[in-house]
Amino acid sequence: MLEGLSMLGHSYLSFLNFWSIAYGLGGAFLGILVGCMPGLSATLCIALLTTLTLKMEANNAILILICSYVGTLYGGSRSAILLNIPGTAANAASCADGHALALRGEAGRAIGIATSGAFCGTLFGVLCLAAFTPALAEVALKFGAYEFFWLALFGVAMSGSIVGDDPIKGWLMGALGLIFAQIGEEGLYAYNRFTFGWDQLSGGISLIPALIGAFGFAEVLTILSDPIEKKLVEMKDSTLPRFREVAQYWKTVLRSGAIGVLTGLLPGVGEDAGAWMSYAGARAVSKEKELFGKGSIDGLMAAETGDMSSIPGHIIPCLALGIPGSAPSAVLMAAMIIHGIQPGPMMMIAHPQFVYDVVAMTTLATCSILLFGLFMVRPLLLVLRIKRSVLMPIIFLLASVGAYASASRLFDVYAMLVIGVGAYFLRKKGYQMAPFVLGLVLGHLLDKSLRRGLVLSDGSVLPFLTRPICAVLALVTVFTMLMYIPAVNRGVKAAFGWCKGLVFSGKAA
Amino acid sequence: MRPAAELIVSFFQVPIVHSDSAGEGRAATPRADFIAALVWIVFGAAVLIGSWRMDRLESQDINPYTIPGLVPGLLGIAVVFFGLLMLFRAWSQGALTPAGGADGREAKPGEHRRFALVLLPCLIFGVGLLGHGLPFWAAAALYVTSTILILQYPERKAAGQLARGVVAATVIGLCAGGLITLVFQEFFLVRLP
Repeated sequence: MLEGLSMLGHSYLSFLNFWSIAYGLGGAFLGILVGCMPGLSATLCIALLTTLTLKMEANNAILILICSYVGTLYGGSRSAILLNIPGTAANAASCADGHALALRGEAGRAIGIATSGAFCGTLFGVLCLAAFTPALAEVALKFGAYEFFWLALFGVAMSGSIVGDDPIKGWLMGALGLIFAQIGEEGLYAYNRFTFGWDQLSGGISLIPALIGAFGFAEVLTILSDPIEKKLVEMKDSTLPRFREVAQYWKTVLRSGAIGVLTGLLPGVGEDAGAWMSYAGARAVSKEKELFGKGSIDGLMAAETGDMSSIPGHIIPCLALGIPGSAPSAVLMAAMIIHGIQPGPMMMIAHPQFVYDVVAMTTLATCSILLFGLFMVRPLLLVLRIKRSVLMPIIFLLASVGAYASASRLFDVYAMLVIGVGAYFLRKKGYQMAPFVLGLVLGHLLDKSLRRGLVLSDGSVLPFLTRPICAVLALVTVFTMLMYIPAVNRGVKAAFGWCKGLVFSGKAA
Repeated sequence: MRPAAELIVSFFQVPIVHSDSAGEGRAATPRADFIAALVWIVFGAAVLIGSWRMDRLESQDINPYTIPGLVPGLLGIAVVFFGLLMLFRAWSQGALTPAGGADGREAKPGEHRRFALVLLPCLIFGVGLLGHGLPFWAAAALYVTSTILILQYPERKAAGQLARGVVAATVIGLCAGGLITLVFQEFFLVRLP
């Protein structure tokens, strides 16, 4: 405990220097700019910055990436409020109430509430990150091939279930990502799978070009092929953060912070789930339910606190288990590996200080967004006035450079183009990219864990089902998937109602 | 419909919801889902066949539970399974009836044309210009200038500002190409194609 606090203190002190603060502010600034632009996601921002920071020292590079991650999600609320288009998917829950406030001439107030919610949410998440990551990593040290197989499957299944509206399409995309991960030389015998004699495919599909294609190029195509340009709502009132409203809605802040962190812990679920669940939670207990969707302060605060607190929540499984909580954290994990830091259960043994460094980096990111929320709201909004026809070709240029730079292979640019065009069409048909990305990240882990597990058990599948953690993960995975079958869902709800009736003796008078 | 079939249909009648958050997701018609399901089934079957035909490395005397085709084969089966579920659901939603193809949300006018106009310069830049001898800054300037010109052509023509548009697009293209080359190559030491 004391050792942990001492390491945390050391991490905070190590970032109190000019360059670290400059990198942090720069990363958050770029993130807010990207987040402000509708459609450009945190995943794209982190992927592009990963290539830009390849030659930097590991801690500085990860600091920039974390600050840009936090900045992008925070910046996304601007376009949600002013344009009624979420800057990132995570800000979709802020659209209804934020834009309704803007239309009433309270755009500045809405941005102020978003700033205070984002600051409190991230700070709450940082506390959980510091408290839970070492504990989870310690538990994860007991995990073997069987548990990792289920964790990988659980992540892809959960992502497919929760992201988007159609779980079958989500699971198909997850399976597609897992299949794509099998392309190239496999880990046990260096056998080339699905390479069709093409040497370039031996190295597999790299994560960064695939992510840039799925989230960057596909988004450029989507935005530019839409002929309608939305109009910006003018902002006349003060944009300063409203901490009086934070005090007024402290229960919402705490509840949404906890919901955000918990959804963040689930692999592959994404920040938008944190925002929507927090919003739903706030609406369920609010005294002003009728205001939700029509400019509710409570609703906007819940959505912003929920999505921002899920960021540290996503980093927790990424660091402790090596299983990313969302697409942006998958890129963050890839960046850590590029810089020689292997996330996973061994992290607390090999790089214990790094976990606390990440806590300090996230705190610096939180302070950066508050600073930009206090002093730079209006200048940063100028980016929303740049024409799409000018901005998007430049984004595509950056995407091409980003795809190429990680391995200096033209093949990666071609892979980015193919995946981008494929993602464009799939998204038009209601398929989500997050399960695909998670499948791509977890494919190797799933493959190795299943085959190693089978060798250890001499072909028996029993250990995959009887070990305590495996049994829990297997039950949750299967139950989650079965719950999407309406008949099972109705049956479970009826059974739950019956059990409730046995415990509670009717309605209170 | 037979009772057993009805029961299975009730299992997988997930309502189609239109979601378009941050550009993601646009619901497809039952017929589009039906066709997509067929594609998924063929793809899954191809993966399964490909995995089955993979070398079992018997000459290396490896443990039979670690054959390289094991996981891809299981994934192929999973894709076929989910494809069948989708096919069945689309069929139950009337994919093969005349109303099954009616689109809930049609493409905006001019969307397909704009898509083609946007994609073409991207492909020319990515496949034809990058890494084929032309310096990066020049390829980038060419791409940015041409894309801006293509996208702004209707409004510039309507406003009678074509010449001004060409000059503005060229300046932006040259600045973008030059700045990106400078920042990536000189400041951050990243190799460019």
